[in-house]
Amino acid sequence: MSSVIVVAPIIIANWPVITAAVAAGVGSLGFSVVNTAELESAFSENMTREEIEVENSEVLDGSAGTGEQMVVVKDGIKATFTRDARGALKLCMEGKGKSKSELRQIGEELMGRVTQQYAYHRVVTELKERNMTIVEEGMTETESVKIRIRNW
Amino acid sequence: MAQEELEIEIDKFGKVTVKTVGIKGPRCLDVAESFAQILGQEESRELTSEYYETEQQVRSHIDVKRKY
Repeated sequence: MSSVIVVAPIIIANWPVITAAVAAGVGSLGFSVVNTAELESAFSENMTREEIEVENSEVLDGSAGTGEQMVVVKDGIKATFTRDARGALKLCMEGKGKSKSELRQIGEELMGRVTQQYAYHRVVTELKERNMTIVEEGMTETESVKIRIRNW
Repeated sequence: MAQEELEIEIDKFGKVTVKTVGIKGPRCLDVAESFAQILGQEESRELTSEYYETEQQVRSHIDVKRKY
């Protein structure tokens, strides 16, 4: 081994890239993407709510404005991803019978998976631009994505 | 020539570890750094013995005798 660098990703992307990362990331935790119109009856009253501001994120102003949102659900928990007024990514967690700290924990797990998918997308895009070829790719026991590139 | 490898691991919290394998000298850091820079904020780095090794160079010596 020659050098090891650890990096905390900063999410800087337009809305379509972020929604793709959300769609790819949340499935591993059992959440699924839904149309907001379907939610009116299922999520109405007595919901605990917790908002998570995603530090180190910037949703680029482009094809999508501040009104865009993406909703994912699982077992009575609703997670809404939006772009806040400052342009950062925001996650609003709602659920019946859940405490704020439980919702925050689930929300942070969700954001972890979304960040993982964003970083994967960024790495693969960069590899293509540099004409570097992946020789091995897979998921580890700890649910990390591992990519190996050889003799580029 | 030894195989030069780049290993990128992205954990379930999104944290990325970029490792270079088999690249001797400071070039190994250049490769890892270039990937780290496009991803975000560097949290830590570790340089191992290969960093301090020099790249192997092949030199050939040719004697040229001039004819007069």
